[in-house]
Amino acid sequence: MSAQAPTAEKTRTAAPRPPAGFPFRFYRYRNYVVFAATSVFMALGCVGLLEALYALGRGEEAWKEFLANMAKPHNLVLSLVVLGFTLYFVLRFAWVGRKIAAGRIGPIPRPPLPMPLLGVAPIGGFLTLWLILLAILAGVLP
Amino acid sequence: MKLIHKLEPLWWILFGAGGFTAGFFLPALILGVLILAPLGALGDGLSYDRAHMLASSLPGKVFLAAVLTLVLWHCAHHLRHFALDLGGHALAPIAAFASYGLALAGTIATLVIVGSL
Repeated sequence: MSAQAPTAEKTRTAAPRPPAGFPFRFYRYRNYVVFAATSVFMALGCVGLLEALYALGRGEEAWKEFLANMAKPHNLVLSLVVLGFTLYFVLRFAWVGRKIAAGRIGPIPRPPLPMPLLGVAPIGGFLTLWLILLAILAGVLP
Repeated sequence: MKLIHKLEPLWWILFGAGGFTAGFFLPALILGVLILAPLGALGDGLSYDRAHMLASSLPGKVFLAAVLTLVLWHCAHHLRHFALDLGGHALAPIAAFASYGLALAGTIATLVIVGSL
């Protein structure tokens, strides 16, 4: 008999089950569901960007046709919804940063900054990058 | 499913990298390419010649391939775990294979489309 062989039966655990009221009854559950839904809309955004690249690869006419199609009201509304969910994801994602930054790593002391500032800092970093990227897309930066 | 569980560190790396990539770049790309450019608000910034030049350059290709594929894997991993929250472990195999399968298809499509620019 191997020394590694189990000598007793594994402890049985109850099957996992969702908490009462999940997924819409309480606001924390609802926030969690909306946060999960951001993935659907962010994936849709990626599909839209892939469609743009595909049109770009098919020539100038296809690119103009893509832009004209995306300018239609229903597509604009969809793009705005996608952007809204993406921004919600980013804000929640960045807001976690304050908790990470407030942690103590070994002998390194905590940063002497108030928690809200630690949360705003990543959002400011994201915003700066978005402005740079938009400036490149607009031709303001090369 | 054993392979899926074995690769769990990889899924989490892709999830984290995709989250950061989405935070850094996705809102500006969606706003610029899918909203402002169709409205003509970017002027000649995304005219065909300039858009093609930006996207077909080597840095442009690497950037676009990285952003789109990482965000897709992030979304797939998030949705896989949300499916587990909703349906429990009975949904585990289908959630894993459907979400990662779609991400893999999206990755291949991205590499083909970006590579052909």
